[in-house]
Amino acid sequence: MAFALPQDKKMGGPWEIPAKYKSMKNTFKDDASLLKVGKMLYTKHCKSCHGSKGEGDGPKARSMKTAIPPFNSDKFQAQSDGVIYYQSIIGRDEMPNYEKKIADDEDRWALINYLRTLK
Amino acid sequence: MRKNIFTLSFLLVFAFGSVLAQETETEKVIDKPVRSPFESGFLIDNQTTVIHPVNTLEFAIQHKFGTVENGHSDLWGLYASGANIRLGLSYVVANNVQVGIGVTKRNMTTDFNAKWTILEQTRNNTVPLALALYGNIAIDGRDKDQFHEDFKSSNRLSSYAQVIVGRKFSDAISLQTGVSFSHYNLIEMGNYHDKVALHFNGRFKVSPQGSIIFNFDAPLDLDYLDSAENYDNPKPNLSFGYEISTSTHAFQIYMGNSSGLIQQDIIVNNHSKIDMDNFMIGFTITRLWNF
Repeated sequence: MAFALPQDKKMGGPWEIPAKYKSMKNTFKDDASLLKVGKMLYTKHCKSCHGSKGEGDGPKARSMKTAIPPFNSDKFQAQSDGVIYYQSIIGRDEMPNYEKKIADDEDRWALINYLRTLK
Repeated sequence: MRKNIFTLSFLLVFAFGSVLAQETETEKVIDKPVRSPFESGFLIDNQTTVIHPVNTLEFAIQHKFGTVENGHSDLWGLYASGANIRLGLSYVVANNVQVGIGVTKRNMTTDFNAKWTILEQTRNNTVPLALALYGNIAIDGRDKDQFHEDFKSSNRLSSYAQVIVGRKFSDAISLQTGVSFSHYNLIEMGNYHDKVALHFNGRFKVSPQGSIIFNFDAPLDLDYLDSAENYDNPKPNLSFGYEISTSTHAFQIYMGNSSGLIQQDIIVNNHSKIDMDNFMIGFTITRLWNF
């Protein structure tokens, strides 16, 4: 297994987000009860790469070729919920697709709501 | 007569399940299944009611080492001879229907298995329990010289059928119970052809990824089913351990007093009583791929 040093990693480049996702509305935005679900899903599916606080420093991040941007950055948090949905659930390249692993739409938004708390 | 009773029982269970499934179909839209009652289709050496999404392939590695009785001289059984290993693959062919195959080191047994989760517990208790059926047919793959002189191919066969009922009581606690029927076409002296057993197992989640897990299988001493004289009823199987789960893996490490890995072997052939010297360390690892 080859490890890429931080200085060797490349940024992923801009995302091409389909219009459908750009305009997607978060129908569970104000549901505080889902934060616990979002945290549970984040711990299970995301933490190993993105780190416990979303800083992109999880143990598996070392073996990635692409740098993982932190969730607490202004740039990430300025994106719409629909864009984050596409990045998190549909994915690209080293970011896996989670449509099957997180099949329920309510759970997907619960995860995105949790990412919003990682400011 | 006995055969007829079992056939009738299974028909009733299937019919009952189908009716309930139809009744809840229209309500599923508003009352979704509970989230992850268990992290894997396996709980130690038993099955859970969980079946992964359609087109998921699960690879399972199950391993039981030797008993811990010799202490550090064989590293509490880790380096002892007589370890048992099962490698299994299962695939979800339709919603809540899974088929699988596995090969176990003991007797080079190949098992073909299927699981159907008829009912899933829902979040608002429209369906308060999960109900699953699990069954397998196993083939003893040893050379025929290992059997008796009147060997027939059917001597290699054994089977297992189980009804599992489970409930997730809270985010932390999920419990299951069940009843099973095990059958061996050919047995060694002192063992029974048929055994009915009760099962009780569960998990207590202590962190988002970690759970304390346990399992208890109790073979019943029912004389009318298999009236062998002077035979000792098989001993119960008690296991407890810890589970760590990730997005694609479940890792369970445990201790238990049965060396079997396929269920009928655990129920029919376990003569190790629950005693610290008879316990052995084991693990179950599962890996998922979605297609």
